[in-house]
Amino acid sequence: MTETDPDTFIQAAMEWHFNPETGSPFWLERAATLDFDPRTDVRSHADLRRFPNVAAELRDVRVADLIPRGYGPNPDVVGFFDSGGTTGAPKRVVLMRDWLDRMLAAMRANYAAHGLEPGKDWLGVVPTGPHIVGELFRRSAAGFGGHGFTIDLDPRWVKRLIAEGRGPDVGAYADHLIEQAEYVLRTQDIGVLMITPPLLERLALRDDLVALVNEKVRLISWGGTQLDPDSRELYKTEVFPGVALHGNYGSTMMLGVASERPHLPAGTSCVFDPLAPYVTFDVVDPDTGDTVAYGERGQVVVSHVSRSFLLPNNLERDLAIRVPAAPGQIGDSVANLRPVMTFEREAVIEGVY
Amino acid sequence: MTALAPTVDLPALGANGLFVSHIPLPVTDVAGAVVAELSLVPSLFVNRTLAALRKATTVPADERVGMLTKAADLFEHATIAGHTPADYAYAVSRVGGLPITTVEHTVGTLANRLRLAHYTVQHARPAGAVTDWRDPLTRSGRAVWTRRGDVFAVLAAGNHPGAHSLWPEALALGYRVAVRPSQREPFTPHRLILALRAAGFGDDQVALLPTNHDGADAIVRGADLGLAYGGADVVAKYGRDPRVVTQGPGRSKLLITRDADWREHLDTIVDSIAGHGGVGCVNATTVLVEGDPAPLCAALAERLSALPSLPPEHADAVLPVQPLATAKTFAVYLDAAAANAKAWLGGDGIVDALGDGSAVLRPAVHELERADAPQAACELPFPCVWVAPWTRADGAAALRDTLVLTVCTDDDALVDALVEEPTIANVYVGDERTLHMAPELPHDGYLAEFLMRTKSVIRRP
Repeated sequence: MTETDPDTFIQAAMEWHFNPETGSPFWLERAATLDFDPRTDVRSHADLRRFPNVAAELRDVRVADLIPRGYGPNPDVVGFFDSGGTTGAPKRVVLMRDWLDRMLAAMRANYAAHGLEPGKDWLGVVPTGPHIVGELFRRSAAGFGGHGFTIDLDPRWVKRLIAEGRGPDVGAYADHLIEQAEYVLRTQDIGVLMITPPLLERLALRDDLVALVNEKVRLISWGGTQLDPDSRELYKTEVFPGVALHGNYGSTMMLGVASERPHLPAGTSCVFDPLAPYVTFDVVDPDTGDTVAYGERGQVVVSHVSRSFLLPNNLERDLAIRVPAAPGQIGDSVANLRPVMTFEREAVIEGVY
Repeated sequence: MTALAPTVDLPALGANGLFVSHIPLPVTDVAGAVVAELSLVPSLFVNRTLAALRKATTVPADERVGMLTKAADLFEHATIAGHTPADYAYAVSRVGGLPITTVEHTVGTLANRLRLAHYTVQHARPAGAVTDWRDPLTRSGRAVWTRRGDVFAVLAAGNHPGAHSLWPEALALGYRVAVRPSQREPFTPHRLILALRAAGFGDDQVALLPTNHDGADAIVRGADLGLAYGGADVVAKYGRDPRVVTQGPGRSKLLITRDADWREHLDTIVDSIAGHGGVGCVNATTVLVEGDPAPLCAALAERLSALPSLPPEHADAVLPVQPLATAKTFAVYLDAAAANAKAWLGGDGIVDALGDGSAVLRPAVHELERADAPQAACELPFPCVWVAPWTRADGAAALRDTLVLTVCTDDDALVDALVEEPTIANVYVGDERTLHMAPELPHDGYLAEFLMRTKSVIRRP
């Protein structure tokens, strides 16, 4: 698959995923229930909206069935990963080597564009375990010639505590996590801190840790939940004035992240560009499904179309401002994300992750 | 008087001055028009403000008193952030739906409470305690009255501006104070805190932090002690936290025994029910009468039905006004709560639409068969009263969980029982309105009882 022409790209992808020789068992079986033939009817990015959202089916799927047959008898599987489980049972995906390499290269280029220089070690206060962010974190650190230090962070337990109204227990767990992070931060040569906004806020409660971060860390990379624009501004100007602040909007279902657009003037919103044409965004009216105007808020539809994975037309739990895409990029970019209040009839709970 | 300029900006008042956030919350008047934009701040801003308050030093007591006095004058008379006292009263009236004369009256009482805060707090000081360790009495050993902490959080209510007359006592005692305004009526704490700052209180002494529920939790978490206004939900959330004192339902009542003629107290009863628009926790929810309640019900219905339906900013307005949809919600709620109670007034509806999207909440009078009927505890923010027969057998038990009880009786033994009942916060004997308040009188105990403690100090040569 090449990036030359968007329509050609989509058509090649449909051929790959729905040809019985190369498609995955999951999609080949699912194709029989569609009222259109992707190989003939899906010709462009816009046509991806014809697909039903099958994300919920990834809660139950046998993940090996997600691997396209075109990878042959010995596919290079990096691992199987879970979504955070914000709403119900986690969804599960497969991460293939070729996609991981492409994602890491894009993240590396983005970090470099934000002025990050190689050589320092990284600390990840992010979910590890079955969560893809931990994998991307470690490999990103290695890609910058450093080591990735991690801690244990179970986002599903936090969400459960919040759902049960156990606020003090959430606070105690957050303090425990910050303590684990502190041990690494104090003793190791940490130049990059990857952390979720709720835990960054928790860290910022401690003057001694703020001083430590300002002394050691060159870049804070946040993601997992959203950071409101006022907090972002306060971090940049008051709390961590000498540290670069870098945002990621990612999810397991996009198999990676959309990173913050570099070189925007100070005081402007954080804009996230997806790794198009493989990952694309559309910002739509939640009620009508129509694309909203630029500058308007809508719900984010994410499509992942790569050789390794197909998940088109996935309505995510986030609301965002629709922003013009970067030159040559298909679909939209997004800014000022925040979660929708309800999703799949369960209240969305924002927590440590 | 004209309406306010298109939209008033209500920035947060943080430890570094004004803060206009990226997330403005529209504040609407009773007709649904946006009259102000309130800057909501995130938890990070709350945390940093609370940390700054904690690091600040307390101003000496005498200076605090001087600044409170000056702030009282500014609040009452000055143009603050471009708004005259009249502008302010108009805004509160239009947004909160309170009769404007009630707001104007409260401006004066609130200012007086500020002027007297240093004096009123002394009523809570134990008789044995002195205020300074240098007091000569400590040379032989003495209790000294000291703060339990340094930072005080207030989660404010928006039903009545008078509620903001209480927390400045914490400033008088040397606390730094962070106030989370009600999103419904943020004008009063905004004006008050600007007045306090103009009078000399530093930005790190008193702050206004409009914020969501997470931010509210952060305010309480970051403070030493807190005061939370609200209904049963707030009491349930904070009631078990020993650091937080809650101001919950009032369920104020009047009791008229047989030896007192209710006809002689009718003005007092009516005013207790409907004074200040009937929106307060000190307004009577229930009237208990020994004997047949029907004649009293008839008299109340006659008096209360005569109150006019007017927009809140009208000089003759006496009833509260709410957005029509909110008013209808109250009507449905009242209808369900009343169940089989006999309606003397309001049975055919309490909503009187004014035609601009707002509606007057008209009075309701219901007669109950028993003093312990469940309706007697149903407190709504407009003149809504439950009248029930009371017998000697009902005793003080029928009067439990009452913020203010007015009792008209000659029976001193009954008064003994009522004063001794722990869940009755205040007892007024004779012809006094339940909504009577005075600076030196406790409301739900003295706030200073909660803010202060005694400790022994002994000085030896």
